[in-house]
Order: sequence, then C-alpha cells, then structure tokens
Amino acid sequence: MSKVQLSPTLRRILLEALILCSLAAAVGLSLNFPMVMNAFSGKTVSQPKPQQLPVPGSQSPSTVAVVAYPDPIELDEIDELLASDALLVDARNKTDFAKSHLAGAVSLPLGEAAERLAEFSAAVPKERVLILYCNGFGCPDSFDLGVILLGAGFSEVRVFEGGYPEWRDAGRPLAKGAE
Amino acid sequence: MMRLKQAVYHVGRLLLAAVFIYAGVIKGTDPVAFAGQVANYQLLPYAWNYLVAAILPYLELLCGILLLLDKRVRPALVVLFVLNLVFMLAISSLIVRGIDIDCGCFRPDATNKTTPWMALWRDVGLLLLMVSTWSLRYRLQPADDN
Repeated sequence: MSKVQLSPTLRRILLEALILCSLAAAVGLSLNFPMVMNAFSGKTVSQPKPQQLPVPGSQSPSTVAVVAYPDPIELDEIDELLASDALLVDARNKTDFAKSHLAGAVSLPLGEAAERLAEFSAAVPKERVLILYCNGFGCPDSFDLGVILLGAGFSEVRVFEGGYPEWRDAGRPLAKGAE
Repeated sequence: MMRLKQAVYHVGRLLLAAVFIYAGVIKGTDPVAFAGQVANYQLLPYAWNYLVAAILPYLELLCGILLLLDKRVRPALVVLFVLNLVFMLAISSLIVRGIDIDCGCFRPDATNKTTPWMALWRDVGLLLLMVSTWSLRYRLQPADDN
C-alpha cells in the first residue's frame, strides 16, 4: 500500500489549522470555564440571580436566601423518576402552559411563585421528587423556581434544562389546557 | 481578467468573514442558549453540548477575523470547511430522524426559524464559496504558503 505524501505547503496549512483549533479551544475554555466545569460535574449551568427572585409571601421581587441549588436531570432519566411518582412542574407562564405542556405537568409560573407557594406546599409532600422545566437551555425560570422550592423545604428538586423544546422534539407526550 | 479574479476573491473572503464573525459573536455572547441549540440536535451527551458551545463560537470568530485580515486564509478555510461539513452532517441527521428544529446556526433565540433543509442549502452555498476562495487564493498567490 502506497503512503500518501502531503506537500510541505499542505502540511504547513494543516498544522496551522490545528493550531487555530487549539487556540480557539484555549480561549473558549478559559472564558467559559465555570460553565463547562458545572456541566461536566453534573451541576446546573444557569447562574442564580437571588436578588431577582420573588420572596415567598411578598408581592415584589426581592432577595431570597439561597439554601441550595437544584441538580440537573436529563431527558432519559425522567421516565424512571416519573415511574416513582415524581411530579413535573412547569415554570413558564400560564399562557404557554395552556397552549401546550408536558403531559402530567402542573403549572407553577416563577412570576406567581410568591403567591402560590403556600398552596403548592400544602398540596405536594416535601419529599416528593419535583422535575422543573421551562423553555429550554438559556431559560433560567426553572432554575430560579428550584432555588425557591428548595428554600421552602422541598428536598428533591431537579431541573430539566432541555425543557419543553427538548421534550417536544423527542416526540414525548404533550397536553393542552389549563390545570 | 486578473483584476476580476482578485475582486471575486476579496468579495468571497469578506463575505465568509462577515458570516463567521457574526455567527461567532452571536453564539459567544450567550453560550448557554447556544448549548441548548446544540442539545436540540440530540447527538451529544449533556455536558458535551456545553463544551461545544464554549469552543465553537471562538473557532468561527478566529477564522472570520483571519479572513477579514487576509492572513492565514487557507488554514482558516480548512477549519471552516471541516466545520461546515460537520454542520451539514448534523443537519442531515435531523432530516433523516424527522426532527424539525431551528438550526441554531446564528441567533440562539431566533424568531424566524431556519429549517434543516434551508440550513443545509445555505451550508452548501458556503462550502462552494470556501472552495472558490481557496482556489482563487492559490491562483493569485501560488507561492504564498497561506
């Protein structure tokens, strides 16, 4: 079998292309190091903004004490948890929920968390596994709601970061209408 | 004739530079949202979507800047050519699997959805532009190593 011979010029171009890739990787990883580390260590990537979260019992957004951060959950892990009575919680607004939501989900919009937390706490046992979602990656509402629910005493709060878009695109069951 | 070739070369180079600088800046400013777009392809494990979102925008940006400056044009074109082939494979897999999502090629929160077929045709166009820019670069400056 004959060996492929690259011209010196082509070899140099390929070497420089590799250097370009390495440089971009070094810059990208340096600038996004916390995000990548969080993702690979199984933590949620969204950054908490506690000063913007509604305090339970208050009508205006204020500071809430962050006691813990919710852990992420992937699509293929959800079935197992749902089989053991986990509850899907939709953190999007009521309109989006009414249009379409994950089958079996209940609505608890982040914007209404302060008013509805007492009602939700009374209806759902604190040890029940809650799987929160909103409009997918880049949507912080489910993560922020998770911080509030953990602060309210719920012990098993997970965030499905792929959210509604990933569920829909995977062909999973959806439902329509308000609760 | 030479002038025309030079003009076509520079237009192609600047067009590619504009496309990839724009794509890199848009994706790089919101890497979490871009990771979501990568995740929508359902090809990579959870954490790898973030790794791609951390690196890819800077690769596009760096190559775009080199094209803009007319420096290291052929290495930049090699990288972008391979990237574009990977994009086309990923988009083709969407079509085969029947997944209709926004391609995530530019704005992660795009209101106007770019369907997989539209993205595929656009990538074919970019690929042809890269090949012609490479070829013209070689013809205009054959002794230049870059």
